[in-house]
Amino acid sequence: MRRLLLALAFLLLMASTWIGLTRGQIDPVQRNILYVHVPNSVCALLCFVVVLVASIGYLATGGQTWDLVAAAAAEAGFVFATILNATGMIFSRAEWNVWWTPSPRLVTSAILWFLYAVYLILRVSLPDAQRRAARLCAVFGIVAFLDVPLVYISARFIPDIHRPNFSLDSAWQTAALMLGMAGTALLAAGLIWLRTSLLRDSRKLEQELLG
Amino acid sequence: MREAMAQDKLTGAVLSVRAVSKTFVTRPVLRGIDLIVPASEAVCLCGINGAGKSTLLRVIAGLLRPDRGSISIQGCEVRREPEKSRRQLGMISHASMVYPELTVSENLAFAARLYGVPNRAGRIEEMLTGTGLSSYRHDRAGILSRGLLQRLAIARALLHRPAVLLADEPFTGLDADATENVLTIFDRFVREGGTILMTTHDLHLGLRCCARVAVLDRGVLILDARKEEIDAPRFLADYLSYARSRR
Amino acid sequence: MKDMWLGLRAILLKDIVVELRARQVLPTMVVLGMLIVFILRMASESAAAGAGVPVMGAAALWIAFLFSGLLAQERSFAAEQQNGCIDGLLLAPLDAGTIYLAKVAANIILLTIFEAVMVPLVLMAFRLHVAGWGRLAGVLLLGNLGISSVGTLFSAAVQLTRTRGALLSIVVLVLLLPMMIPASFALLVLFGALPENVVGSGSFAFVGSFRAAVAYLLAFDAVFSVACWLLFGVVVEE
Repeated sequence: MRRLLLALAFLLLMASTWIGLTRGQIDPVQRNILYVHVPNSVCALLCFVVVLVASIGYLATGGQTWDLVAAAAAEAGFVFATILNATGMIFSRAEWNVWWTPSPRLVTSAILWFLYAVYLILRVSLPDAQRRAARLCAVFGIVAFLDVPLVYISARFIPDIHRPNFSLDSAWQTAALMLGMAGTALLAAGLIWLRTSLLRDSRKLEQELLG
Repeated sequence: MREAMAQDKLTGAVLSVRAVSKTFVTRPVLRGIDLIVPASEAVCLCGINGAGKSTLLRVIAGLLRPDRGSISIQGCEVRREPEKSRRQLGMISHASMVYPELTVSENLAFAARLYGVPNRAGRIEEMLTGTGLSSYRHDRAGILSRGLLQRLAIARALLHRPAVLLADEPFTGLDADATENVLTIFDRFVREGGTILMTTHDLHLGLRCCARVAVLDRGVLILDARKEEIDAPRFLADYLSYARSRR
Repeated sequence: MKDMWLGLRAILLKDIVVELRARQVLPTMVVLGMLIVFILRMASESAAAGAGVPVMGAAALWIAFLFSGLLAQERSFAAEQQNGCIDGLLLAPLDAGTIYLAKVAANIILLTIFEAVMVPLVLMAFRLHVAGWGRLAGVLLLGNLGISSVGTLFSAAVQLTRTRGALLSIVVLVLLLPMMIPASFALLVLFGALPENVVGSGSFAFVGSFRAAVAYLLAFDAVFSVACWLLFGVVVEE
């Protein structure tokens, strides 16, 4: 089932790329990175929502699976956030000749990346078996999520240097973008699922060895 | 549960532990512990290291949540009325819970405020005299010897006149004199109606001050009997060989 | 209710007394703050005079405040870890939230003392003038509340898991990131480097009004202090 999901995701992404690059090319060429940038941005946020829900679930029920889902979602989200920042920087370099500048979008992406990074560091640094450690991560997951809208609002205090007009003209472009979104979302789901079961198996193994 | 609590009131059980179980990740530490202790009784809880004694005490104190079961103190269920039940409880553990930068009387004053003790100054005076710490009242807790520190911890624990005193290894690191002091304080507490649940490795001391003995093994109470019911020397010998065999 | 107030006051006073007697954190905070200001002052020496200086001054103040503030947060529960005093607090018939509020209040007081020393130093070092001391005090207080509410929660969480390293620092810093933008804006307005209302012009001018910035800080503090207060109970139980 998982393999099916990931295969489907891959197909959708391929379709999106092909359509985007052949039929739906945006002019100038660097703007095509939009097809990667936007889906990743959406998925990075979606993964954060998963982390939030899983963290709340863990605190409410104490079930280990919730904890593992949060960890998996954070890892996936981190990947998306990294790609988000990278594509953002590439775009910025191509469009405005600077790798990075404190514009709202870039600042928001950067802080999102930092939130994920700190979450992952917490997961790695804390002793695994302790329930307090898992609870700390869950609490951080919730508080960090509360941070996100505040980040968006505070970024309003910075003027956008040039606000490029991202209007999608042809139906092909819209299609490519939609396919990209769907593909990335499925990829996210598949990765989280895969990672959760990997974590569960490794946890079980650990307990059997130490038990 | 309500019948159990009503039963408590009838029998006058001050501390009642019912079917308490606790598992740490995969390791079951407490398995269905039942323990009912009335007023004016001291129970000595024995067991080898890792048997779950400290865990049981922490669960009763409310510092750990049990996976199953319930604990009531003076009829107040710990989970349902946490603040009311905590008022009835005093605890001394391995850590002294005392602030080294504050003086002896300041530490007691702080505890008195936390528990809302009426007539603070008078009560603190009483405790200082009762534990023999009067001459140390202005000394910073950080410079006290182990024996004095333990006495301070006891004073702190009994300041608010709890019904139950939980003592985790109260005699560790104490010399003969200090031990006698502590035993006297415990005796007085029990005589005045208090209940003590203590853990100790030193069975001689345990049997000296406690009227009841319980043995915890791998999370289960394998013995719970009054001192009169057991043959003390044989019990001590049996316990020693049991402890050796479990090593 | 009255009990809660008594307990809160007791813990707050105890924290202040212990801190004043230990004489550890406050001096370290001040020295660290002064070092940061000194370093930034030296760093800004090479920058063009005039326009850049207030920005460096505001930056110096916030950076000193954040890093020294972290020291104050760590202290919150480091003292309770010693001798297992945290158990002493948890055994008391107090709501965990009360412990939290007392600790936050103690931290805010420490930070206020720290700022009382630092602000004149920064003003002197960067040759700045303040237009509105009352407003400056208000902005700094909002900042204090922000860092204390987040810092107290996570100080407890991190201390109680007994790990080493700069975990508390990265957690607090990352969560406070969004606060920095409006906060710096507010400071720059008070230092006279920016007009009260800026409408998007030029590359790096801030957009918005002083009032909006303060409103943001209030919202930030409201959200986080409530959330952290509610989550404190979770973090502190075993």
